[in-house]
Amino acid sequence: MTSRTAQKKKAGPAGRHPKAKPKARKRKGTQRRGRSPGLYAIGAVVAIVAVMVGYGVFNRAKTPDTPNATGASAVIDDVTSVPASALNAVGADGVETVPTALPPSTAAYEVDGKPAILYVGAEYCPYCAAERWALTIALSRFGSFDGLGLTTSSSTDIYPSTRTLSFHGSTFHSDLIAFDGVETATNELNAAGTSYQPLDTLTPEQQQLFQAYNSSGSIPFLLIGNRYVLSGSSFLPDVLQGKSWQEIASALQDPTSDVAKEVLASANVMTAAICELTDGEPANVCTSPGVQQGANALANA
Amino acid sequence: MRERPSWLGAATLVLALAGVGVSAYLTYAHYASSTILACSGSGLVDCERVTTSAQSAVAGIPVAVLGLVWFVATAALVSPPAWRSRAPWVRWTRLADVGVGMAMVLWLIYAELFVIRAICLWCTVVHVIVFALFVLVMLYGWEETEG
Repeated sequence: MTSRTAQKKKAGPAGRHPKAKPKARKRKGTQRRGRSPGLYAIGAVVAIVAVMVGYGVFNRAKTPDTPNATGASAVIDDVTSVPASALNAVGADGVETVPTALPPSTAAYEVDGKPAILYVGAEYCPYCAAERWALTIALSRFGSFDGLGLTTSSSTDIYPSTRTLSFHGSTFHSDLIAFDGVETATNELNAAGTSYQPLDTLTPEQQQLFQAYNSSGSIPFLLIGNRYVLSGSSFLPDVLQGKSWQEIASALQDPTSDVAKEVLASANVMTAAICELTDGEPANVCTSPGVQQGANALANA
Repeated sequence: MRERPSWLGAATLVLALAGVGVSAYLTYAHYASSTILACSGSGLVDCERVTTSAQSAVAGIPVAVLGLVWFVATAALVSPPAWRSRAPWVRWTRLADVGVGMAMVLWLIYAELFVIRAICLWCTVVHVIVFALFVLVMLYGWEETEG
């Protein structure tokens, strides 16, 4: 080290310009002291959010594995012929939401001279996905479906890709009741990504009923002969999360399964409401223990 | 000392006031919405489910109301006069304020993703505003006002 350098180092700031050096040193020192806590805090927050979002995305349901025609047919057969023993074993205990009774003076809703049930939903809607399982089981006790399909709720909404049935394109045959199932949208977004692609259209009468009892426009919407109305699903879709159609259909046969407890309890309540429209027909259905429990749930709501 | 940009006071105040507006709307939505277990007509997001969830209130006080109160207090703390203040308690209160706000937002994001499993777009707007305030205060709010 030269003597000049040594002198410079020893002299320190005093050897520099009296104003410039202290300011520069202060800025550098303060930046180190003042910046770090804030940057660490920001970094910690970003890391926490990244971990949460990453974990959430990682755990989203995978693309559903749609069964072939035979598999789909087997699922629909299982759902439309759930054993009465399973329905009776579940009863209506623990049902989350029951339809609301409308005033007795409300004009009856009929189609083709038969008391009618109107369902409005959409394929993207996970709550509709849950509701369809129970509604299909309930309706199948009064008639039969043609053209029921399988679909899933939106893969990008909550309860993503919940496996379910679709009423789009289906017809319901019954001597006792009429049923209109309207799926207003698919589970596919439009090109702009702003809304789901439209599917079925409500008739003017259906639109009027939908708005009359459901000003917020929420779906699923269920109107049972102008006697009962339900806006929203009867139970949460979480019980169906991650399950294939086959697994759900199979679980419905087992009254001890969580799926059956939720779906069949709701189906019994819906059945009880429909039995009021049919004056208790068919008797073997409407007087069954499960449906009687459903009637009690309606009466106590 | 890290110099505070001239726009800091105005930017943070605008953010806080935007937060007041959005949280006021969410407060209205909290009390106006009663339907649960339903999809909105357009799908995609489900604010109603979030604003009517069990996590939408803390100790009986709606989170939206807490947010509104927080944004009003924060607007005062990040106003240009507050940024010019040399009182240490203003600086530390501001730092603590954004820290508490950010912690609350982290908890709410957790609740949305893993408990409610629904995302509310308006809530997300609030979260972004809180994060922006947090970043600005953390970057420029540690040292006394240079003068």
